[in-house]
Amino acid sequence: METYRIEELNFTFPLQESKTLSHINLTIQSGEFVAICGKSGSGKSTLLRQLKSILAPHGEPSGRILFCGQPLEEVDPRTQAAQIGFVLQNPDNQIVTDKVWHELAFGLENLGFDQRTIRLRVAEMASFFGIQSWFHRDVSELSGGQKQLLNLASIMAMHPAVLILDEPTSQLDPIAAAEFLAALTKINRELGTTIIMTEHRLEEVLPITDRLILMDEGAVLADAPPAQAGEALFRMQHPMSASMPSPMQIYAEVDGASASAYPVTVKEGRQWLNDFLSSRTAAPDTMAGDCPQLSSRTAAPDTAAGEPPQSSKQVAITFKDVWFKYDKHGPDVLKDLSLEIREGQFYCVVGGNGTGKTTALSLISGIRQPYRGKVLIGGKNPAKMKANELFINHLGVLPQNPQTLFVKKTVEQDLHDMLADTALSKEEKSAKVAAIVQFAELEHLLSMHPYDLSGGEQQRAALAKVLLLEPRILLLDEPTKGLDGFFKEKLAAFLKKLNDSGVTIVMISHDIEFCARHGEVCALFFDGGIIASDSAGRFFSGNSFYTTAANRMVRHVWSGGITIEDVIERCQTSS
Amino acid sequence: MKDHFSTFHPIVNFGYFAAILIFSMVFMHPVFQCIALVSAVVYSIMLKGRGAVRFNLLYMVPLLLLTAAMNPAFNHEGVTILFYLSNGNPITLESILFGAAAACMFVTIIIWFSCYNAVMTSDKFIYIFGKIWPALSLIFSMALRFVPRYLTQIRIISGAQKCIGRDVTQGNIWRRARNGIAIVSIMTTWALENAIETADSMKSRGYGLPNRSSFSIFRFDSRDMIVSAAMLGCMSVVLIGAAMGENTIRFFPSVKMIELTPFSVVVYGSYLMLCMMPVIITMVEEIKWKRIESRS
Repeated sequence: METYRIEELNFTFPLQESKTLSHINLTIQSGEFVAICGKSGSGKSTLLRQLKSILAPHGEPSGRILFCGQPLEEVDPRTQAAQIGFVLQNPDNQIVTDKVWHELAFGLENLGFDQRTIRLRVAEMASFFGIQSWFHRDVSELSGGQKQLLNLASIMAMHPAVLILDEPTSQLDPIAAAEFLAALTKINRELGTTIIMTEHRLEEVLPITDRLILMDEGAVLADAPPAQAGEALFRMQHPMSASMPSPMQIYAEVDGASASAYPVTVKEGRQWLNDFLSSRTAAPDTMAGDCPQLSSRTAAPDTAAGEPPQSSKQVAITFKDVWFKYDKHGPDVLKDLSLEIREGQFYCVVGGNGTGKTTALSLISGIRQPYRGKVLIGGKNPAKMKANELFINHLGVLPQNPQTLFVKKTVEQDLHDMLADTALSKEEKSAKVAAIVQFAELEHLLSMHPYDLSGGEQQRAALAKVLLLEPRILLLDEPTKGLDGFFKEKLAAFLKKLNDSGVTIVMISHDIEFCARHGEVCALFFDGGIIASDSAGRFFSGNSFYTTAANRMVRHVWSGGITIEDVIERCQTSS
Repeated sequence: MKDHFSTFHPIVNFGYFAAILIFSMVFMHPVFQCIALVSAVVYSIMLKGRGAVRFNLLYMVPLLLLTAAMNPAFNHEGVTILFYLSNGNPITLESILFGAAAACMFVTIIIWFSCYNAVMTSDKFIYIFGKIWPALSLIFSMALRFVPRYLTQIRIISGAQKCIGRDVTQGNIWRRARNGIAIVSIMTTWALENAIETADSMKSRGYGLPNRSSFSIFRFDSRDMIVSAAMLGCMSVVLIGAAMGENTIRFFPSVKMIELTPFSVVVYGSYLMLCMMPVIITMVEEIKWKRIESRS
């Protein structure tokens, strides 16, 4: 049975020349798990919104959409509300009521079910998703992952035939995202609900989907099972192939011409690598395969050092035996934290949620003070420094949500506002703004409202704003959250440029791949302190789980391969 | 001690407090006032423990004394003159007694309200109003969702602005005012922008379809029935007493009450039962639990 049949769908936004969606033809079978991928602005969200009449944006659609064999516009609103479940991106914005149980019942109330039915369905969903333990809680007490799970559960309580999700995990940390995707898999397998989702986290999503649809500039580029769709992408040498999972990229580069299927998971990647290496009569030590006692890894020389590389540069930020807690009687958030960040370093802090990373950042910016130990910036205590001394020409902080910085109606005004209080002449100000605009590539966005920019563009505008204060140290709190591969690379290029010009960068991130690729020194935060810190290469080769996919794929043969490029190079030279 | 009265159906809770607040306000008879005040204090301590003791001693006792002293200083009615003030105004026994009674009533009501707040949590309140006006209950629920959310967001914005030197705690007074306005403006834009997605989420889940129902997790069971019956019984005795003039007192020009009869003792007893009902329920439940525990 077909859930959706889309025929020759075109869509144009009002006052725009080009089509946002052009000639889309898709059939989605009942019970399928479909992932739609593409760059930001490729029309994914617009396509998803066409699938539910009440969410369809204004504009000029043409073509046909059939839902269960019936034209969508003829399906009455009540059936659409119940049968087509839609989960949006931001976990917070979707929650309407104050209690978890009320939120679960919200949709059912709208549909006018009686008490008994609602009671049963709510109980069922709470059990299915393991929500019982927080059933009576206020929604404001929940974590981001719990909130998104609640959104999913409250939609599933309406028993939809199809579940549509628009980047549901982009605001979640990796652990919460994995949990959410596991819940989706469970729904798909156990209830047979059709799932259509857009997603950036391809490493996690591709293994669980039946079908991958790749979109570019409003058209469908490929539509096939993940391995084949990926293969098609690499055949086309499409730029989007750079955001495919690491095993696929390595395979495509090294062995792409062979006939075997593209590996999607780390497991498949490992199997391919073993076959690949044994097929080439390579050096004996790389033949060891999966047996660690035989492999050369045990003798790996470069994992011994525990200290970060010492440089002769001056120390920019020092933490000395720092202890911090929020309440007098609360638990210690930072415990005996000591670290040194030197000038010009690109310092990445990775680690789970709630380990105190963001708290440590707020100590650097002087917003909070430790109750024991010292935090020093360039030898001074930031909490005692004046705002002008600390934040102008010294310390720049890019908040996690760039929207918290925008004040004015256009990006240009917003940038000028930053310099409003300085003693510069008008020309000097304009020159400064122009230089920053050029640096952050904001020229074409200047007259737009900051909120109308995409996530990556907002990030850049906010970064430009902070950079107008000419900081020598830049603090970043999860700058890659919610960005797609393309914007991540762009951000990385900016950070690299800044770093090269001597700016010290301290970045907190969950994004291991990003840190491994671009970081200089990486540190693992756990339980209020730094467990390990080292140069990025040695740091990740020393970890076995907390490391990049490429490293997990090849670490049984070469412990040193961290990035995709490393591994490709090793593969090519091993022959 | 865990309160058991609050586990009853919201209608029982709400009905109880509505009745008790009205009674405490209307009945000025000293016996009734004493019963109400003592019960309110006992229940508030049972509900909130040490915090309530401190609240009662630190704020309520001074308030009681102050309001009691205020009346005779300004009110000079009454026939029993005790002495004259230096400006020639008389201080009368009646005005002192009336002041004490009014102060007692005032404090009793405040303490009852503090108990009300602890028992009638937001979801119970919403439920009660949902019965009367369903749309309003959703608005309440949404307000309770958004207020904490906005407070969190304003803290985040203020933190971000602090790091570019533009928080309300930075700069001279003009700068601070300007920064404050900027923060409110950012907050407003943010709220409007994000409300669009909330609206989408509501529409997508069928909000606006006709025949909306209202769900609650509360059930009116036999326990609620029994307590309601007991409450209504006590209330009717008290009301009959009120109709017969048992509960009132006249202060001016001279103090006058109805004579004490066996029936008035019955009315006092019922009022005591009514006021102490939450305390009695809690104690009975505790004793029951102790017994079950000791048996096993």
